[in-house]
Amino acid sequence: MDSAADCPEALAVRDLSADYGGHPVVGGIELTLNRGDVLGLLGANGSGKSTLLKAITGQIRLFGGSVAVNGVDLAGAPERAKGGFGLAIDVPDLPAALSGRQYLQLVASIRGCAEDDWPGVDVAERLSLKRWIDRPIAEYSLGTRAKVAIAAALLGAPPLLIFDESLNGLDPLAAWEVKRVILALAASGRHAVIISTHVVEAVPGLCNRAVLLAEGSIAREWDARQLAEASHTPGAFEFHVMQALSEPMSWRRR
Amino acid sequence: MRHDKLVLTLLWRELLAGLRSMRRRDLAWIALGGGALLAYAIADVFVALRGTAAALRQAQMLWTIGLPAALLSLGCLSGNAFAGLCLSRAFAPFLKALPLSSAERRRMAAVAAVVLGIPLVLTIATAVGLGCAVIAKPLAPVWALGAAILFAAGFGMAAGWRLRRAYEPVGVGPAALVVESGARRPWLGAFDRSRPAWLASWAWGLPAGRVRPSWLLIGAAILLGMAASLAAVTSLIHRSTGPATMTGLAGGLLVFMLSARFHPLGSPVLRTAPLGFAKAWLRLARLPLQLSVAFFLLPAGAALAAEPSAWAVPVASGLWLLILNGAYAVFAAYFMTAPFVAALSFLSTIAYTSYESLEYGRTVLIGFAALVLWLWYRAQQRYRHG
Repeated sequence: MDSAADCPEALAVRDLSADYGGHPVVGGIELTLNRGDVLGLLGANGSGKSTLLKAITGQIRLFGGSVAVNGVDLAGAPERAKGGFGLAIDVPDLPAALSGRQYLQLVASIRGCAEDDWPGVDVAERLSLKRWIDRPIAEYSLGTRAKVAIAAALLGAPPLLIFDESLNGLDPLAAWEVKRVILALAASGRHAVIISTHVVEAVPGLCNRAVLLAEGSIAREWDARQLAEASHTPGAFEFHVMQALSEPMSWRRR
Repeated sequence: MRHDKLVLTLLWRELLAGLRSMRRRDLAWIALGGGALLAYAIADVFVALRGTAAALRQAQMLWTIGLPAALLSLGCLSGNAFAGLCLSRAFAPFLKALPLSSAERRRMAAVAAVVLGIPLVLTIATAVGLGCAVIAKPLAPVWALGAAILFAAGFGMAAGWRLRRAYEPVGVGPAALVVESGARRPWLGAFDRSRPAWLASWAWGLPAGRVRPSWLLIGAAILLGMAASLAAVTSLIHRSTGPATMTGLAGGLLVFMLSARFHPLGSPVLRTAPLGFAKAWLRLARLPLQLSVAFFLLPAGAALAAEPSAWAVPVASGLWLLILNGAYAVFAAYFMTAPFVAALSFLSTIAYTSYESLEYGRTVLIGFAALVLWLWYRAQQRYRHG
C-alpha cells in the first residue's frame, strides 16, 4: 500500500529558496497545503510567484530547503512526486503541432490513466472543448489553449492542482465552470489547489487561503476566516492587498 | 535607416543574455577547456602539416579541385545557415506588428549576414594563408586571397538564394500547422501510441500527427532508396560485403540524424510529468531508430547474401550503427533545440576521434565515450532542474 495515498498534506514546502543563474529569486518559503485547501498566490510582477511554482513542480533546482508533494520528496523521488500534482502548462509551452485530443492522450499515457479520466466531471464537455479537440492546438485561441491546459492538469485526478494564471484567458462561462470544478474538488477533501492570479477580487470567493509574495518571500497570509470576513465587504480584500503591495519593501510577515 | 541593424542588435543581445544566464563555472570550462583544446588542435595541425609538407605541395588535385570545392561548399553551408539565422530574427513573431515590409526585413537580415560573414572570410583567409606558409607553398598570400574569394562566393550565393526566397516567416508557425478539419486519421498513430503517446508527432511537428507529402520528403526517400538498392546490387555483383555494409551503416546513421528530434525534452509538458529522462529520451529515439534500422536491413541483407561466410561484417556494422545512433541521440538531446549544431558537433567529434585514433589507437574511444556520458549527464540535469 502506498503511504503517499493517505498523506493529508498535498504539499509541504520547507525553507525553500531558489535562484536563476546564481541570482536568488525566492527564499525562506514555508508552505503547507492540506487536501481541501485552495490557495490564492498573489504578488506583483517579478515577486517570485512563477519561480516558486517552478521550484515546486521541479522545473528549477532548489538552492535550499525541500518540497514534498503528497508526502513524496521531490528531490529524492522526482518522478513519484510529479505524479502527485497536475500543472496547467503555460499556453506558449503547449505542443502546438498536436491536436487537443493527442495532447490529452500524451498526458494520460504518462499518468497511466484514460484520456477522459477527470475527477467526477467531463471537463472537455464542461469547457466546450469537444468541437476543437481534433484540431491542432496551433489553431486554438488563447482561451481554448488555456482550457486544454486545464483539462490536462486535471487528468488522473492528482491530489495537488496548480494553475499559474491559467484562468486569465478564459471566457466568462469557462472561467465560471473552472471555478465550480475547483470548488467541488476542494470540497471533496481529496485535492488541494494552488491558483496564482492577478485577479485579486476572485480570491475571497474561490480560495480559503491566500499568500502575498513580495521580493521572493511571503509578505502576508490570509486564512479562511480572514478571507470570509473580507468577502463580506466589497473591495475589502483588494484594499488589504493593494495596501500591502504599496507598503515599503521592509516587509513584515503578519 | 535606424532599424537596419535591428537583426544584429537582436543577435548581440541574445548572445549577451545567453552568456549571462550561464553559470561562471560553465563559462570558465568553455573558455579554458575550449581554449586549451583549440590550442592543442592548432599545434597538432601545425605538426601534421610540417610532417607532410612535401607531399601536400605536390598534390595537384588538392590545390586545383579539392580545396576550392571544400571552400565553396563550406561557404555555401555557412551562408545558408547564417542567412537562416538572420531571417529567423528579421521575421520573429514579436516583430510582426511592426510596420516593416518583407523587403525591409530581408534587407535587415542581409546586412546582418554580411556583417557576420566578414569575420568568417577573414578567418578562412588567415587559416589558408598560414597553412600555405607552414608547408612553404609559394604565393601563400595569393592562396589566402583566393580562398577568401571562393568562400565569400559560396557564402554570398547561398545567403542570397535563401534571402530572396524569404517572403514568409521562417520555420513552422501556427499558420503552417493548420489542417483540414476532421476527416483523415493520422496514419502515424499505429507507430506513435506507446507511452508517452504522440511524442514523435510532436517532435517532428506533424500537424495533428498527419504526415504531409512534400517534394523534399519524396526526394529524400527516392535518393535513400536508390542508394540502398545500388549498394545492394553492387555487393551482389561483386560478391563482396563492402559496398552494401558501408552504405547501410552510413545511410542508417544519416536517416537517424535527419529524423531524430529531441526538443520535447525541454518542454514543461514532459519535465513536470512523472516521466524520467531516460524513458523520454528512449521514446524520442525509438521511431528514428526504427527508420534507421529499416534502411539498414536492405543493404545488410544483400551483403549477407553476397558473401554468407562474412556474416560477421554486417552484424558488426549493425552494432556500430546502434552505437553511433545512440551517441548521436545523446548529442541531439544535449543540443535539443538545434539539430544542425548537434549534427555538426557529432560529425566533428567523430572526425576528430578518427584522426586522433590514427596516432593514439583505440584508447581515444574512451575519450569519446567519456564525452558522450558527460553530455548525457548534462542533458539529464537540465531535464530535471532546468
